[in-house]
Amino acid sequence: MRAIDFQQLVDRQYAPLFRFALSLSKSEAEAADLTQQTFFLWAAKGNQLRDRSKAKSWLFTTLYREFLGRRRHEVRFPQVELAEAREDEMSILPNVDALDGRAVLHALQRVEEPFRAALTLFYLEQFSYQEIADVLEIPIGTVMSRLSRGKAQLRQRLLSKEEAAARKIISIAEEKKAERHG
Amino acid sequence: MDNREAQFVLSAYRPGGQDAASPQFTEALAQARRDPSLQRWFNESSAFDRAVTEKLCAVEAPAGLREGILVGGKVSHRSSWTKPLLKWSIAAALVLAAIAGSWVLRESARPRLVGWQTNALGQISALVEGRAKFDTQSDNPGELVAWLHANRAAALQKLPEKLERLKSLGCKTFFWDGQPVSVICFQRENGGLIHLVTMKAAAPFNRASKNKPKFVQQGNWATATWCDGATVYMLALEGQGDQIRSYLL
Repeated sequence: MRAIDFQQLVDRQYAPLFRFALSLSKSEAEAADLTQQTFFLWAAKGNQLRDRSKAKSWLFTTLYREFLGRRRHEVRFPQVELAEAREDEMSILPNVDALDGRAVLHALQRVEEPFRAALTLFYLEQFSYQEIADVLEIPIGTVMSRLSRGKAQLRQRLLSKEEAAARKIISIAEEKKAERHG
Repeated sequence: MDNREAQFVLSAYRPGGQDAASPQFTEALAQARRDPSLQRWFNESSAFDRAVTEKLCAVEAPAGLREGILVGGKVSHRSSWTKPLLKWSIAAALVLAAIAGSWVLRESARPRLVGWQTNALGQISALVEGRAKFDTQSDNPGELVAWLHANRAAALQKLPEKLERLKSLGCKTFFWDGQPVSVICFQRENGGLIHLVTMKAAAPFNRASKNKPKFVQQGNWATATWCDGATVYMLALEGQGDQIRSYLL
């Protein structure tokens, strides 16, 4: 692969890949390391990919495999795929506009794997359910299940953030009131 | 299809409308048009999805990541043996499989640079190519070490003797995983450059051996890494390992 092609690929994909890695790994350093490692693997093996239009999908799949490989010895994925995270169909939606990007990312990071990877690809890259299925190497039905349940978890996490922010505001207001009276 | 099933399917519907023509969603979308409560949920859910996307896309990648990838990509690029034509030649020469196998084993066992090292090389490349600026410049390396100490940056107590004799260009500080890192760039006798990276680790660093440098050649970069307590050092130049060894004697 020519250096200029590699640079163009890096310029297009390093930030989305980093965000994907960050949502998975929870640590900025590990996310950066995963992103780098993915591109290094591309530099070493990318020329084996005949269909260049699939480079993006290759990068995301490789990063996810790297992440799973690193976690294999550390984490036993919780068996929550179908048992937990019940969807409350007409649930209250949190006001995302009131939160900044880091707060939303933090809420996403608290969504359990394996829902988180599907959600991140959906939100960050606007991947279709078929593309998510390809990247994560899972059936389409599983993608829909993970998106549905993952979104329910994300809403819960965002609502708790909103509640925490509201409690903080009330607490500050009460402190000021007490100061005025005391 | 009831509302619950429609919601399940519509959870995968992208808020940008890219899936409007996808047959996978036809029935669920029709259900939403028939049922105002489901339609309201769908509208609110799509607005929520758009807002989450917008917020998440605002998160920026750390400074230096791009440069680290570009440098690491160059050094990770395997030489021509992976090119298809040559690969076929290798495949044809199956009689050499045993030799090739042992080569692959050696290759996989070869030490490689890790994240902070490629990041530091990225920072160095940015300095050398003029895409980043030194924090301070001096041709006296002692002054740069003093400046680093004065600014509580990562700095070694005493420069290796051979480095001390060289003229320096400048130094730069940055952070990796919350740990302070500094780079001092030196002018070599032959006109090339050599760089000393110092990182303060939160705990004693396991990947480098104390006082016994670990040498890694990756692409054009030759590096030597060693540690002393909770400080880890990397000497790097564009060239071969024997060139770097001479600065550590």
